[in-house]
Amino acid sequence: MREDRYLNISDVTKSYPNPFGDEIAVVKGFDLTVTKGEVISIIGHSGCGKSTVLNMVAGLIPVSLGGIILESCEVIDPGPDRAVVFQAPCLLPWLTSMENVLLGLRSAYPSLNKTEHEEIAKYCLYQVGLDGSLKKYPREMSGGMQQRVGIARAIALKPKVLLLDEPFGRLDSLTRLELQDVILNILDLQKITTLLVTHDVDEAIYMADRICMMTNGPRAKVGRMLEIKFPRPRDREEILEDPDFYDFRQELLQFLDDCEAEKEKKKESELQLV
Amino acid sequence: MKLKHRIYKLIDISGLQLFDPVARLFFREEPQVQIKRITQFIVIPILAFGLFLLVWQIMAPRHTTKSGEVPKPGRVLDAAKGIWTFHNREKEKSIAFIASSDEANKILDNAKNRLEEIESSLIPAQDETIANLEILEQEWRDKNISPKIKKAANIEYEINSKQNSLKTELEELAGSIKANDKNAKEELVLRLEKLELQKSKWKIELAELKGTISILESKKYPLLERAQRKKDRLEEEKQYLSVYIGILTKNRNSKVEELNKKLVDYSNSFYAAESTKVMSSAKRLVRQKTRIEKTSESQYSAAKTLPYQTLRSLLCVFTGFIIATIFAIPLGILCGLNKTFMCAFTPFIAIFKPVSPIVWLPIGLIVVGGFIPDPENNALLSIINKLPIFSSFDVNPAFLASAITVALCSLWPTLVNTALGVSSIDVDHLNVARVLNLRFRERLISVIIPSALPLIFAGLRISIGVGWMVLIAAELLASSEGIGKFVWDMFNNGSSDSFAQMFVVVFLVGGIGLLLDRIMIVFQRLVSFDETAPSV
Repeated sequence: MREDRYLNISDVTKSYPNPFGDEIAVVKGFDLTVTKGEVISIIGHSGCGKSTVLNMVAGLIPVSLGGIILESCEVIDPGPDRAVVFQAPCLLPWLTSMENVLLGLRSAYPSLNKTEHEEIAKYCLYQVGLDGSLKKYPREMSGGMQQRVGIARAIALKPKVLLLDEPFGRLDSLTRLELQDVILNILDLQKITTLLVTHDVDEAIYMADRICMMTNGPRAKVGRMLEIKFPRPRDREEILEDPDFYDFRQELLQFLDDCEAEKEKKKESELQLV
Repeated sequence: MKLKHRIYKLIDISGLQLFDPVARLFFREEPQVQIKRITQFIVIPILAFGLFLLVWQIMAPRHTTKSGEVPKPGRVLDAAKGIWTFHNREKEKSIAFIASSDEANKILDNAKNRLEEIESSLIPAQDETIANLEILEQEWRDKNISPKIKKAANIEYEINSKQNSLKTELEELAGSIKANDKNAKEELVLRLEKLELQKSKWKIELAELKGTISILESKKYPLLERAQRKKDRLEEEKQYLSVYIGILTKNRNSKVEELNKKLVDYSNSFYAAESTKVMSSAKRLVRQKTRIEKTSESQYSAAKTLPYQTLRSLLCVFTGFIIATIFAIPLGILCGLNKTFMCAFTPFIAIFKPVSPIVWLPIGLIVVGGFIPDPENNALLSIINKLPIFSSFDVNPAFLASAITVALCSLWPTLVNTALGVSSIDVDHLNVARVLNLRFRERLISVIIPSALPLIFAGLRISIGVGWMVLIAAELLASSEGIGKFVWDMFNNGSSDSFAQMFVVVFLVGGIGLLLDRIMIVFQRLVSFDETAPSV
């Protein structure tokens, strides 16, 4: 197995029939190869199909054409080797944070016993800074804390790929910065291959090794790749002072603007046709 | 501060949100808002109920039936008290029956004193009051009723005499008409026709008068009526006391003692017996021994009072409810999980849900009768009758049939709600379960059932309400012991007191229904993990 092709998303298409029976491709010919331990940000305008790609990698929705291969195995079903952190925390409200984390462990490590499971869960909750709230129910926690539980639940599975679907989208900006650092710390420690879907440019640069820019849908695909060569572990202040950061930022924003302009153009030409 | 919030929480969880404003007012929290809420949710309902009682009080005496007039609220309350006294007396009797001789002697004195008091002073005093009141009643009747009756009778007499005189007048006229006087003859026919018309009018008038007279005659002097009721109660107590004393003097212990004395005689004569009589006296000895054993285990067979019947009905409704739940929840989960199963099951729900308990009951009776041809020696029944709570209620096939009817009618709301709850699980939660790759059992226990629980309990709440409603009808028809049987007995009894007792049952059944509903709401609140309160 080659480490530089750990996760291979090759020529993937996802299409849905519209009410008239025509197939509309949301994503078409999406190609991405991810090296082991790499962190990839997927960025694009909202509605361009970023989450669709992520859900396909997670196995939650089937692929129409093409294929996704993870460590020489094709992805068909969802599984604990691809842990997902959703945009909403999606905790089960009738379980405590501890029980929420434990839930997946039993099927992920069937050979371990109950105390060992609990040890793992406790450690993961400690890593996200929740070692004081093991017995709290989701309704007793803030949105940020709930999302921390969501992250703990994902990393507890020791996944091959960590899939983050706009995990900070619903949080206020302070909490968002905190959680970004929480995740970065974990990634530095465990070197988990990660796909992060986001539409926050700064977040994409700060977190990722490479940024995958998606064109606007329908028929969205990889528009451009951008390599971010900041050393790890990263320090937010250092990066903010680095002039490269602003170049990257400018490049990303330019791409997004171009996408938007193209879209406008398309619309206009369609209108003229009518 | 902490206590305050604990109390609010308790009120909220116990389903007594009604008293929330009272508690808040007590802690001086926005007093004006609380007073407004109290007026709205407590004072107005009480006033409305008071108005209802007032209308009842006024309307009830206006409708007279074969079993007396419709009882006023006061009579119903009296009947309720009577039912309770009767229940307590039956309980006293059964205690007296098994009391040891020391205890019996202790209570015996009290009972005898009370009996003495009733016989020698209370009843004669009441008789005297009644006699005095009868004189008053006569005066009242002479003053208020008799003139009215007389007036009515006079009008009746006048009408009758007028009718007679007109009749004779016409007859005389007819006698005087000559054979060829055509005009006179036609005149006579006209007058006769007129008389007939008048007669039919008089007939109606007379009937009305008779009605008024009979109502007036049946009117009772309220004070006298009350005094007589009091005397009736005293007589009842006297009768009860004499029976009670009878039981005390000859209860189980004294019977056993007596039998034991005889046993000594028998054994003496057995040891002294000649060879020819040995066998017969041995038999006598053994027979005496079994008799003692039986007597020492015997119980007083108390009459089935309304409280007993209520408990039995509750047991029956819970039996049916539990049977229904055992079937409904798993079936509902299957329906919710599996579209195919749901499609297969839909016609059954659609067809059987609207069927009336009145149809299920006879079927239930026949089916249970088929399984239990001989209730005296049936394995199932004897097992049920040995269960802790069931043992004191003598379960019979009618009980089982009623319970099955309850189950068949209360099954559906739980089933439908469970299916709905399971099939409408949050997609996010299902995705989580898929990502975590939970096995079916874990998904069921950790995700599906908890998220369906609030709806399941909403279904259970409807189910137990339906079950309780159905049960009374089922018991009435199956003449299974229970509240329904009590109503049926009262209906067949047909005295004015039993009419009032039926009204007691109305409030009893309503009150218990309310209580069951409240309990289910509390459960529903406990399993609802989100903060939204269920509708009250």
